[in-house]
Amino acid sequence: MLLIGALPQPITSAPLVILIYAVLVLMVASALASVLLRNTLYAIGAFAATMVLVALLYLTIAPFLLFAVQLLVFTTVSAALLVGLLQQTAGLDSTQEPFSREWIIGAAVAAALLALLVVVVATTSWPIRLTANAGPGFGATLTNSYIVGLAVLVVILASAALGSGLLLAAPTLPSPRGGGSTRLPSPRGGGSTSPSTRPRGPRR
Amino acid sequence: MNAGLNLVLAASAALFAVGAFALVARRSAVLMLIGTQFMFMAGCMAFVAFARFGLGAVNATSGAAAAIFAGATAVAELAVGLALAALIFRQHRSLAVDADRG
Repeated sequence: MLLIGALPQPITSAPLVILIYAVLVLMVASALASVLLRNTLYAIGAFAATMVLVALLYLTIAPFLLFAVQLLVFTTVSAALLVGLLQQTAGLDSTQEPFSREWIIGAAVAAALLALLVVVVATTSWPIRLTANAGPGFGATLTNSYIVGLAVLVVILASAALGSGLLLAAPTLPSPRGGGSTRLPSPRGGGSTSPSTRPRGPRR
Repeated sequence: MNAGLNLVLAASAALFAVGAFALVARRSAVLMLIGTQFMFMAGCMAFVAFARFGLGAVNATSGAAAAIFAGATAVAELAVGLALAALIFRQHRSLAVDADRG
């Protein structure tokens, strides 16, 4: 492969490097907060903050269109979907005990994955790009080289939207343990009062 | 001090591990879905980092295109997952994915 232009170098501008370090540290911290917080609404807030920080990272190392899509589409749609689910459900606090067996297993799995990825990243000599051609713009690349991918993406998104709508509109199936639909009105005008559908405490 | 491929990949690995922790350790469907989103985002970050600093693509925008596709797929997965979580809540009055254990 011919050497055309300069080799891609790491970013060395001090303010930009400090910004990237700060964004990455805050991103991991907010992701951890999102996972560990007991209040689901706060967890969703931390999740949205993580998405915004990923968008900021994209602003420094990726085309601007990716930053805009990440910030305006992915972040808002994800947060809106999560908040919409919370509006349909009740209760925000988790009663799962910290340092329970699930937490220990989860921490072990996460630590093993992190160790594996760190070892791979640290020991691999990643090849660098030999050509630094500017190439076409990001929008042109999307609409020219990846037009089939875009079409498939539209089908996937439309199918997901349709499937979600159908799932939400479908009546709840009877429980295999004899319970009925929670959407059927009870004689007193409320929801179903079968044992399997009765509230059993705030296990979230 | 500089910022290169290894730094972004390390952060991507950390984000992936956090997502895996949420997927394994938490019982709430919402938090598990947030964990999957983190894992998708970690993959997107790796794509972008390789496109920016590494050999990853013929031109510099292919990694960003892959990130767009992965992000949109993640949003679609989130929409279906949240619809399933809403059904779980209707059935069991709980967002815990093991609510049927009694």
